[in-house]
Amino acid sequence: MYYELGIVFLAGLITAVATGLGAIPFAFMRTVSGRTLGLANGVASGLMLGASFGLFSEGSVYGLWQTVAGAAVGVAFVFFGERFLQDKEVEFGDIRGAGARRILLIIAIMTLHSFSEGVAVGVSFGGGEKLAALITIAIAVHNIPEGLAISAVMRPRGSSVWACAGWSVFSSLPQPLMAVPAFAFVEAFRAVLPYGLGFAAGAMVYMVFLELLPEAFEEANPSRVGLLVSLTLGAMILFQKYL
Amino acid sequence: MLNNEQMDQQPVLVVLLYSGLAAAFASLGALPFLRRGGPGRFSIGSAYSFASGLMLGAGYLLMSEALVHGKADLVVVGAALGVGFTWWTQSYAGTEELRRDAQAKPDRPEYGYKILLQNALHSAAEGVAIGASMAYDLGLGVFIALALAVHNVGEATALTSLLTQRGVTVRQSAGLCVSVKTPQAVFAITAFALTSALRPWLPLALGLAAGAMVYLVISELLPSSYKRAPKSAVALLVSISAGAVILLRSFFMAS
Repeated sequence: MYYELGIVFLAGLITAVATGLGAIPFAFMRTVSGRTLGLANGVASGLMLGASFGLFSEGSVYGLWQTVAGAAVGVAFVFFGERFLQDKEVEFGDIRGAGARRILLIIAIMTLHSFSEGVAVGVSFGGGEKLAALITIAIAVHNIPEGLAISAVMRPRGSSVWACAGWSVFSSLPQPLMAVPAFAFVEAFRAVLPYGLGFAAGAMVYMVFLELLPEAFEEANPSRVGLLVSLTLGAMILFQKYL
Repeated sequence: MLNNEQMDQQPVLVVLLYSGLAAAFASLGALPFLRRGGPGRFSIGSAYSFASGLMLGAGYLLMSEALVHGKADLVVVGAALGVGFTWWTQSYAGTEELRRDAQAKPDRPEYGYKILLQNALHSAAEGVAIGASMAYDLGLGVFIALALAVHNVGEATALTSLLTQRGVTVRQSAGLCVSVKTPQAVFAITAFALTSALRPWLPLALGLAAGAMVYLVISELLPSSYKRAPKSAVALLVSISAGAVILLRSFFMAS
């Protein structure tokens, strides 16, 4: 039993570290113009909408109403989180003001969403070793675009590549932590899964429409943003379908 | 309106009925302008956001149904075609220039014509969504048509605000709104006929409709929403109306 729990933890850890790989494309970017920032927001929006599509449809397999209830709480969470941060002086490394607030919110949402993904890993580990290996690889690869989304928000505002990678990995650390108890108490966790998946989807969708898209439209041409969002959204859906 | 038996025997009539109903709903969008002064900027922005959410919810339904029952690559190729086609229609209608002209020369006659062309092309993509989803499953199609009917009200309110500023009367605006939404009926019937005949290509058509709608929301409706209403109101309205479409669909399926 302890041996198995160790394997589950290790698997979760691998998936978490994979998130850091999303920062790699940003190692080749030096200066960032306003337009690039807008387009990067478009990419992050597409990735997050695609992830929400997957989370929501998986959640509705377990229970549609529970997923929608979770999504409503997710929307409320970002709504109040943003209100709460609005009058605070937020600093993130050298970044201040609205940019820092946005980064903080993205990291908070991505980290919270990892809790439900960790539960998903743990619950599905009950299905046997082969399936478990497959799921680990799938989640690890699927985490890379999430790291990409975080980095796309952090890097254009002046964070270092290492900070992008570090915070990406951090946002996935709840995965190994949640996978272990979820595996040990599968039945109990299966019941809360749709709420968790819905929460993550709702929070991400709301974040996209509240922060990422308005800023993208300020900086870049709406047709370009539309193309980028729909292409990354499509790619993300295809990606999840085949993994 | 029709019972199940009639719906099964006369599917084309059902497509005509519901897509026509959707287009007719656009006339309701002019109603708020009967009151003196008409709705303000915030209301117009909210109307755009509401329409966006309904379209995104419908897009989600089409996409998830298509992915469950069709080959994913066919669906995604369809979605890419939908995005590409809509992108082309926008460059054809001059959506970019419209955005610039809105500040520079909104009073020129060609601005008005381009707005009508843009709206008509926009409706064509929505018509494909109605027709393809009806060919896939009549119940889903009826639901999508009703969601788009309600969304037409929001879009028509926004269009009427542009038209009345240019001196068109409210009654004439209502007629113009229905006219530019008529492509929904034409394209619904066309898409229905084609996809019923070419059944294997149905997932492609569903993907096409979903891709076109998502692209339209992001590139046309949302920028117009953010210009008029605060972003927190836009985000809330979009999430709530999209969620409502998804929930109501399961409610309709259950009953």
